[in-house]
Amino acid sequence: MIHVIIGAGAAGMTAAKTIRQADPEAYITIISTDEHVHSRCMLHHYLSYERDEKTLCFVDPEFFNSDKVNWVAGKTVKTIDTADHMVVLDDDQKYSYDKLLIATGANSFIPPVGQFREASNVFGLRHLTDAQNIRKAAEKASNILIVGSGLVGLDAAYSFLEQGKHVTVVEMADRILPIQLNEKGGKAYKKLFEDHGCKFILSRKASDTHMNENGEIDYVTLDDGTKIDCELVIVAAGVRPALECIQGTNIEADRFITVSDSMQTNVPDIYAAGDVTGLSGIWPNAMKQGQTAGYNMCGIKTQYIDKYAMKNTMNFYGLTTLSLGRGVEEEGDVVIEREDSHNYRRAILRDGKLDSILLQGKIDYSGIYQYLIKNEIDLSGIKKDIFHLSFADFYSIDERGAYSYNV
Amino acid sequence: MKRIMIDTAKCDGCKNCTVACMQAHREGPGTIYDLDLTDIRNESRNHIEKVADGTYRPVFCRHCDTPECVMSCMSGALTKDPETGHVCYDEEKCGSCFMCVMNCPYGVLKADTATRTKVIKCDFCENDGGEPNCVKSCPKKAIYVEEVNV
Repeated sequence: MIHVIIGAGAAGMTAAKTIRQADPEAYITIISTDEHVHSRCMLHHYLSYERDEKTLCFVDPEFFNSDKVNWVAGKTVKTIDTADHMVVLDDDQKYSYDKLLIATGANSFIPPVGQFREASNVFGLRHLTDAQNIRKAAEKASNILIVGSGLVGLDAAYSFLEQGKHVTVVEMADRILPIQLNEKGGKAYKKLFEDHGCKFILSRKASDTHMNENGEIDYVTLDDGTKIDCELVIVAAGVRPALECIQGTNIEADRFITVSDSMQTNVPDIYAAGDVTGLSGIWPNAMKQGQTAGYNMCGIKTQYIDKYAMKNTMNFYGLTTLSLGRGVEEEGDVVIEREDSHNYRRAILRDGKLDSILLQGKIDYSGIYQYLIKNEIDLSGIKKDIFHLSFADFYSIDERGAYSYNV
Repeated sequence: MKRIMIDTAKCDGCKNCTVACMQAHREGPGTIYDLDLTDIRNESRNHIEKVADGTYRPVFCRHCDTPECVMSCMSGALTKDPETGHVCYDEEKCGSCFMCVMNCPYGVLKADTATRTKVIKCDFCENDGGEPNCVKSCPKKAIYVEEVNV
């Protein structure tokens, strides 16, 4: 059996490892535009010179030291010949497959503001190649503008602040980390970043740019007319799925590649996993999708069930936060908020079940909350304080010593 | 694989296991008699909870068959050892994102209190003879090591 995997991110590599384990006789070819296997969640550590190409890798390099694993690095799949079971690379090399996984991920979305798309000093932060280009450009930049204050924007801000750069973050919403946190939760981070020299401009968006004769943007104009001088712009305004290789094929996509619960596309023997499916942008979910695809590619029927994706953790300046759920209160909800000098906690209970929880500060033993939310566990009978629940309140252990929930 | 089995009925909540774990993972040398229990750097990988009826529930890493922590690790720091079956943690590789804390359904994991850069995770005392110190210290035999089929 020959498995071809396009993409060496969380989904692709997890699928490869799953296949390797499920069918040691199978041949696996991984084709990736990336020249290094790297964790996208750690690119800011590259920007801050804390990690290099090698230490960004999230798999054991030994994995590739097998005559059954072939990694075609630095090559992009141009198209897929689904009739002949063949992928065609940009250099016209062809690889045939019995089973194919498309795990091409996503690319940064650069909005068509002014000359963002033409300028040579505007970057998204998604791939190691982005980080390499940014790091080079940052060497001679002292004023850096970051568009977007989500996790990627703040990751980038953090690494530049570490290097003593002047960082300005522009955010459309009226608070930072608007998807992950409410205003209060965001404020704690805002203050920490400001204490380290960061400047935030909220409720504003970039509306125009000025490009100098070198093709570089030297200032960006906001929608209120404010001009911000900059030598480098990082755009952290979301991603779009990398669908290039399926253009003109009969693989069905509606913004994202359409997959069944077994991660199979509409074309037999072709699977998709990770950001390209649009099911979730969260690393653990991409791993699960890759694992599900890998098993199914080996003929072991598995379904992608654990779909809960409204989950995030973050850690800046030693302040840790867990955020689960939308965090948006509805009529009839019970909202519990608690605060002390080190912690802010907020929970939303809906119909006796936990809908959302935000734990900022101490996040010890908080893994239970995702279980309670995604399995919609009825907590109405439990008299204990929501923030003091633990697995002990649901404790069950079997004869093999495995835990499960007694609910 | 070897797993720490738990007989909750035998646990009387003495926390000998917790102190043994702190001692086993302390930074400097010393004995349990000079272990500073108030030093936040001395943290236990296990914890005991008391429930409403007055009995105790030991919460110990299961080194799960399908470990959710490993399935959330974006740095490759958490891996399931194919030989021992144990879930290993490589502090050097860790990116301190704490998605593993979020993903452990049994609420076993935590971030280290002092620096928030590491995960406090059971290592089965593999660098200390492979016989967990918590088990050795339990006066009630409420925790014991057993070989379980995978």
